[in-house]
Amino acid sequence: MDALAEACERVASHAGRLAKVAALAEYFRTLESDEDLRRAVQFLLGRPAAMAPAVSNLFETVEAPKLALGYAVIRDALRAASGWDDETLRVCHREVGDGGETVGLIMAPFTAGEPMSLERAEQLYLQLHAMRRADARVRMMTEIFRTYRPLTLKYFIKAIGNSFRIGLQEKMVEEAVAAATGKSAAAVRAANNRLGDLAAVAIAARHDQLDSIEARLFHPMDFMLAKPLEDGAAPPEGVEWYVEEKYDGVRAQAHCDHGAVAIFSRGMEDVSKSYPELVSALGRVPGSAILDGEILAWRDGRALSFTMLQQRLARKKLTEAMQVSIPVVFMGYDVLYRDGGLTLDQTLEERRAMLEAAVNDAASDRVLLSPQAKLADVAEIPARYEAARENGNEGLLLKRAGSLYEPGKRGGAWLKVKRAFATLDVVITAAEQGHGKRATVLSDYTFAVRSGDQYLNIGKAYSGLTDAEIREMTKVLRDIAIGRYSRVLLVKPQQVLEVGFDGIQKSPRHKSGYALRFPRILRWRTDKRAEDCDTIERVQELYQSSLNLTPNRVGDDA
Amino acid sequence: MGLWLDSIVPVAANWISHAHSDHSRGGHGRILASPETIRFLRLREDEQILAGSVIEPMECDAPVSLPSGAVITAKPAAHITGARQLLVEFGGERLLYTGDIKLQKPLLGAETEIVPCDHLIIESTFGLPVYRFLTCEQAAERIVRFARECLSEGSIPVFLGYPLGRGQEIVYTLCRAGIPTAVHGAIARLIPAHEESGYQFCGWEPYDAANMPGKAHVVTPGFRNTLEASGKPVRIAYVSGWAAVDNARARSGAEELIPYSDHAGFQELLDIVDGSGARRVDVVHGYTETFARILRERRNIDARAAMVGVHVEDD
Repeated sequence: MDALAEACERVASHAGRLAKVAALAEYFRTLESDEDLRRAVQFLLGRPAAMAPAVSNLFETVEAPKLALGYAVIRDALRAASGWDDETLRVCHREVGDGGETVGLIMAPFTAGEPMSLERAEQLYLQLHAMRRADARVRMMTEIFRTYRPLTLKYFIKAIGNSFRIGLQEKMVEEAVAAATGKSAAAVRAANNRLGDLAAVAIAARHDQLDSIEARLFHPMDFMLAKPLEDGAAPPEGVEWYVEEKYDGVRAQAHCDHGAVAIFSRGMEDVSKSYPELVSALGRVPGSAILDGEILAWRDGRALSFTMLQQRLARKKLTEAMQVSIPVVFMGYDVLYRDGGLTLDQTLEERRAMLEAAVNDAASDRVLLSPQAKLADVAEIPARYEAARENGNEGLLLKRAGSLYEPGKRGGAWLKVKRAFATLDVVITAAEQGHGKRATVLSDYTFAVRSGDQYLNIGKAYSGLTDAEIREMTKVLRDIAIGRYSRVLLVKPQQVLEVGFDGIQKSPRHKSGYALRFPRILRWRTDKRAEDCDTIERVQELYQSSLNLTPNRVGDDA
Repeated sequence: MGLWLDSIVPVAANWISHAHSDHSRGGHGRILASPETIRFLRLREDEQILAGSVIEPMECDAPVSLPSGAVITAKPAAHITGARQLLVEFGGERLLYTGDIKLQKPLLGAETEIVPCDHLIIESTFGLPVYRFLTCEQAAERIVRFARECLSEGSIPVFLGYPLGRGQEIVYTLCRAGIPTAVHGAIARLIPAHEESGYQFCGWEPYDAANMPGKAHVVTPGFRNTLEASGKPVRIAYVSGWAAVDNARARSGAEELIPYSDHAGFQELLDIVDGSGARRVDVVHGYTETFARILRERRNIDARAAMVGVHVEDD
């Protein structure tokens, strides 16, 4: 673990991707045992708690343990181990911007500096995971802080939070495994796609057994993602495109094996329990298959609004009444695996034929096929987009003819055509420092709309401004600060932003009584004054019009 | 009459602890400072700081009596070449103003003398327990290692440093290690003034955009964009106290962080306070509130956060 922490520091201290991969590969080569290679890879992927033996078979998928450790536990342990008071620790954490790094820096004068092996690190995680009581965790963490080297503590804590901030992506870990074992990056990636377990792939690569890795069912794979097409832009020319409507539900991956079914979310979680009717419908898919699709609330041949699906998901216990009032379907998009083999390397057209057959064979009104058409002319896009919106869907999805399924990739083979539902001019009322790269600037803004001479908060946005704009905004906001509440700086309502968003909901979270869906900053309106920003009446109008977009609603208050 | 310490507005009489521009502005009736500080001030491009003022160079440990009866004495301070602390003795009380200071040995300039006093005015630029810096030997080793590593792989090592102090420390270190070094702008312009203080800078050359490969480069942080835009294979190191935390990468644009400062780290500040024996402490610059609170709670010292531009009432 000490050597791993040092390797992470070397990775962090190189800006270039190749140098990062090389530094990591060099470290992998120093690991003698397969067990340590497994631990190191799992650790680097921020899944140290996946170290428990995961049991997975046809009928049972036991989830890998997740260690949710809030900053409160770390802070309490840090206070106990270092003797520093909460206020000092708060200021330190604010300046450093990273929990693990703060722990390492604070503990440097106080630790015994004992070595920590990877095996020991794994034991510590599992012990922490097994503890239910917060005070027991704090006691154990205090002991850990007092015992091990500062740099090791830094990465031990970063791994728990699954946030390394050393500029390392899973693909780079794959490449380092390839470089360290003398295999091609493509072979390692392909094996990882089949197995979904890079640690096991690394061991296989070391023993020259990559070819023997078979695809496993009930083990979620990465989803292929669509790249957004800018408003009004046309897709690249010279290639043919298929077009589908883009549904607004929950993306899901269904693993089916002769009647046994598991449904996984984008976050790789098994969500089968939330959709018992889909588990039974998908059980009718003959043979074995992995289907990519979207779960939608559905009635009378069309999708209900995402809000409806959310209402169903919000319930702790899924009642039968809920299943009746908010029915769901699985809308099939693609097929990744069919009857013993992966289909990723087959063309879109071949996969579509397999998907159609699988959906037809299931013969269930809960397992549907996303309608697909060949795009004859890019000029059709605006009309098709309007039609999709009329159908209550989000926009369009374009798929390039002949393309392969690339898990985890947001390449150009799939494009999404989506416009912001609407925009609002809002005024900033509070700001917060970000984390990591943005730890020293105010990058998170709370914003409000006007109601008479008052400003009512309606949301919060993090993204959209350039780094230079954020630095400039930080200066401006610090000058108009009127107070501080913990990390939050309250400012005079002066700076106007134009925000785009995908929907609007009633919500008790903000004073305005509404919340925006996926708000993002479109531009900083330095030409507008606070009085010029949009009003609560405008928000109410937008909310009413959004209800009209989703007819056939169940109940009155969506 | 009174003596001001590092006043940034014009006053009748001002002590200038060192030649950094946030501590030295012009327009005063009298200016008291070390001879080296005065030399640096004469070279400042931005304004005629010394114009119209009566200049009074003060040697270390040579007491000067003020008309009010107070006696002031300059004391060595490790920060940049020429930096001094000021001891003010009046009515049986000893007040010490550190100016900017560190306790560890610097690469260039004097070592700090810990001066016993009743009332201490100290800086706290890095007054949080997370700040801890390399010794000058460790820093020199890291600077040289990074330069050699880059040169051997065919990239160009670039060091970011401030124009007065840090910049020359890096150049001095690279020259002593025999590494070909190119120096940019203000850092180069202030090298001769350091040579007058007895430091040898051998074999460096001025920055030449057309002839970069094979040399280490020492530039001010503002010049980074120009070098990166040149398309040459540069790798950037940031030598600073701020480099003690990883977010310095995003702030400075550097990949290599070398946490070496001309300010004291947290423990050094505590050691200066403890060594002084002061019963009252005013804290200026940086984390003043936090550091003063720590002194109150952990040392039981009458400590408070003060504003900069301190006026010593000696009458």
